[in-house]
Amino acid sequence: MNQSPREILSCRHVGFSVDAPGGRLDILDDITLSLNAGETLAIVGASGSGKTTLLGLLAGLELPTSGDIRLADADLKQLDEDQRARLRRRQVGFVFQSFHLLPSLTALENVMLALEIAGFDGVHERAVKALTQVGLNHRLDHYPRQMSGGEQQRVAIARAFAGNPAILFADEPTGNLDRRTGQSIADLLFDLNRDHDTALVLVTHDMDLARRCAHIEEIVDGQLVEKAVTG
Amino acid sequence: MNPLTLSFRLLARQGRSGALAMLVAGLVVATAAMSAVSLFTDRIGRALEREAGEALAADLVVAGRDRLPPEFLVQAERLGLDTGEIILVSTAVFVGDESQLIDVKGVGGGYPLRGQLRIAAEIDGPEDTVSRLPDRGTAWLEPRGLRALDAGIGDTTELGYSDLTITRTLLFEPDRGGGRFLLAPRMMVHIDDLLDSELLGPGARARYRLLVAGSEAAVNDFRNWVQSRLDDNQRLITVADTEDQTGMALTQARRFLGVAALTAVILAAVAVLLSAMRFSLAQRDLVALLKAFGAKGGEVMGALTLMLLWLVLISIVVGGTAGLIAQELIAHILADGPGNNLPPVRFQPLAGAGVFTLLLAAGFALPPLLNLRGVPPMRILNRSLDQRIGISRLLWLLPVGAALAIPVVQLGDARLALIVLGASAALAASLALFGWLAMLVSGQLAARARAAWRFGLAGLKRRRGAGIVQVTALGLGLMALLLLVIVRAEMLEQWRTSLPADAPDHFAVNIQPDQAADVERTLREAGVVNLQVRPMANANLIAINGERPPDDRMAGQVNVSWIDQLPPANEIVAGEFFAPDATGEISLAAMWAERLGVSLGDELNFESGARSFSATVTSIREVDWNSFNVNFFILLTPEAADFLPHQLIASFHLGDADSTLLRELTRTWPNVSVIDIGAIIERVGEIIDRVSQAAQVVFFFTLLAGLVVLLAALEATRDERRHEAALIRTLGADNRMVRRGLLVEYGVMALIAAALATTGAGVTGWFLAAELFEFRYQPSPVLFISGFVVAIVLVVGSGWLGNRSVLNTPPVRILRTGG
Repeated sequence: MNQSPREILSCRHVGFSVDAPGGRLDILDDITLSLNAGETLAIVGASGSGKTTLLGLLAGLELPTSGDIRLADADLKQLDEDQRARLRRRQVGFVFQSFHLLPSLTALENVMLALEIAGFDGVHERAVKALTQVGLNHRLDHYPRQMSGGEQQRVAIARAFAGNPAILFADEPTGNLDRRTGQSIADLLFDLNRDHDTALVLVTHDMDLARRCAHIEEIVDGQLVEKAVTG
Repeated sequence: MNPLTLSFRLLARQGRSGALAMLVAGLVVATAAMSAVSLFTDRIGRALEREAGEALAADLVVAGRDRLPPEFLVQAERLGLDTGEIILVSTAVFVGDESQLIDVKGVGGGYPLRGQLRIAAEIDGPEDTVSRLPDRGTAWLEPRGLRALDAGIGDTTELGYSDLTITRTLLFEPDRGGGRFLLAPRMMVHIDDLLDSELLGPGARARYRLLVAGSEAAVNDFRNWVQSRLDDNQRLITVADTEDQTGMALTQARRFLGVAALTAVILAAVAVLLSAMRFSLAQRDLVALLKAFGAKGGEVMGALTLMLLWLVLISIVVGGTAGLIAQELIAHILADGPGNNLPPVRFQPLAGAGVFTLLLAAGFALPPLLNLRGVPPMRILNRSLDQRIGISRLLWLLPVGAALAIPVVQLGDARLALIVLGASAALAASLALFGWLAMLVSGQLAARARAAWRFGLAGLKRRRGAGIVQVTALGLGLMALLLLVIVRAEMLEQWRTSLPADAPDHFAVNIQPDQAADVERTLREAGVVNLQVRPMANANLIAINGERPPDDRMAGQVNVSWIDQLPPANEIVAGEFFAPDATGEISLAAMWAERLGVSLGDELNFESGARSFSATVTSIREVDWNSFNVNFFILLTPEAADFLPHQLIASFHLGDADSTLLRELTRTWPNVSVIDIGAIIERVGEIIDRVSQAAQVVFFFTLLAGLVVLLAALEATRDERRHEAALIRTLGADNRMVRRGLLVEYGVMALIAAALATTGAGVTGWFLAAELFEFRYQPSPVLFISGFVVAIVLVVGSGWLGNRSVLNTPPVRILRTGG
């Protein structure tokens, strides 16, 4: 019997607006989408279209001004900030354009810190394993400043996957890298996505990268205008 | 683009930015601290000087063995100074058939120029405080003189050829001095009566003094004028020369306060430097933008410099006002203590504070701003063309120059300033070194810690530079405060209790040799303890190895004693003390020998009356003057008793003996005077207590400046902290975890600062006790534990308050920053 896929993320009629000098400014309007475990989704759009804001809402970093978001079976609107933080510990991983590693911690310590925050046991072994998976077992004790951009992003990916999250949010993960390094980082992301059965939400303006996802959503002026399903 | 207009625009645009606010706060706090300290120490200083001046009864005294040239008086009056004259002579005074050796003091002019006399209309009558001279034809006599002469108020005394009526008893004269006791009773008369007495002929061995007092400038002018005109028999006596040990203590106290203020200044400079660096960092985009729009580098720099000038002016006004209010508050707080008699505020120190603020800004805020000229316009296109806002090598000359100049301006003494600066730098360097080591250890521990601990300890590692500055600054401030508490609460008490319980608290002087046995028996029978009776004679030192002795106030007429064994509280440091049957030998106190350049084997020649004698130096002694035993610079072999006219001096601890004994003693032997030195001990203790109270207030500013440094350093790293807090929140840390991380970071920093401060204070306290107070100091665990706890609460509390915005940083910020 085929088990129906588990829905890991869904948002219905989500809107987000802010107060501006000229009155209320709508950043996102009536966004509805969903994603199952292990699926990949690319959110594309021009600069200022609201894609990063949507990523923040989907990951529970902020709450929408209208609509509902469910992440890993939790209704984000019902959770306060600390509860959402605790949800992210085990269920969510992040990869950022600027890596966001703590400069005074080694690669290993950066990965361990995220695991400790999530409350895992055996953090050292898990961190070593994650860094080995991204090909950095020879760089464990190196500081971010001693590594290239591509290597730093690998550490960030190891940090994101080390806790085996249900969903990973990646904000322009190849944006700060050259084409070839970006390519290898993208390969790594999609390989791990498959290996860990982790859902992947990717914000990018790189259509080549977006096309590697199963789903693509484009935002124009805060609204989803096109839905496409790729290979 | 006009730099002036641009400077105003910059000020208006940046006025509300956190970085500028912090820079202004740094300058304002520094100015306020400096103004308050300058104004307060100026008032305290003048009060102390006034008190010390009272010990001279003047601001400056010219002393001579002959009548001083009249032009000295004329010049002093020409400079607008108040003047007074004194002639001192020892002579026999008669009342009826009774005679007594009396120290006569003829006073004239405006004597006393500083302080007041205390007299009474009858023996044991109520005291009256006056600032006037005895009228012509009258004399004021000490009660013991009256007793010795068996005289009373209204009797007539013969002073040479003058007949004077005794109208008052003399109870106190400000310039008597606490360190030297008069052997003979004092009689004060009008100077013209003394001149008319014909007692001042050749060989009278009178001493003449011209007293002057007035504005500092006029006194200095007179000092400079008269200095080059003094002959070998004349010398200047200043406040620093007063025999009164309290005068010395007060002079030192003022310097001490100046040094204390300097610590606050040094810390404030660090705060200004940190704030300016942070401000400059925030101005890089603006400078790049202005350059890209065509502004010349010089114009931008001119505008930034002018903007800094406006900030300095604002700081002078705001800080100066705050300082004025603060020093008034301090005076109010001390209203029941030394603040009681403070002279009114003088505004001159505010001008000094203004110069100081300008110097501070030029030295510590300008260099980081000037460094902005290196920001390329290309930065607006590519932020990675970033450069750290440090200070280029040449520009370091500015803060270094300012750091050297500020103490000189503030203390007005280049040598002392350099010593303080060097000592502060050494102290700060030691604190920084230990701080660095402690942080290194914390970094190692971070690798083994978990979550909040790892985050907190790693924070220390990440901001090691800023952390060392914070720990050093706070450590210095806390140490200064703790040291003051130690000096006041502990060392003073321990010093007092370190005196043996039976330390002599009374001296009986002027005991004649034929009275000695009876006096001694009376004292013993009354139950006094630790009784020592020692002979004392006056002699003139006339030659050292056949040469005239140096012109020194410790040469000339000296007190000598003799003994057959080394007295208590004395230790031989060179040579050997006399054998019991030795003759013609002399033992000198090390202090006296050093001052007059005398060493073992030297021959000293003395004259006493018509008799002259010589002796060879065979030992040098270190004397514990704090023992309050009777001690002498010069000890002769016992045969001196055979040819030197002398009296005896007894020291004893009154203990449980009846205090009426003292009255009995002087009634039975009217020539004997009893001096209560317990009162002197109390007076010295009181001065130390008052000075340390004032210094505590001054050191409060040091701590305040330390906290400003902490806040400036917190402000400098706030963006970094907010970013980190946002990151770990994104990774799933809740508020509690972020809070704990911050607590760990500040807690460890506080531990390091508190440990360094308490250890430093303990070590310095021990050193001060050993070097200055000459006793072994036992630090009290209670004081150190409470100091430690207070230090931790202060650091963690201020760190916590300064970082509330970090706790409120939303995690979504991480998506909007470029790292």
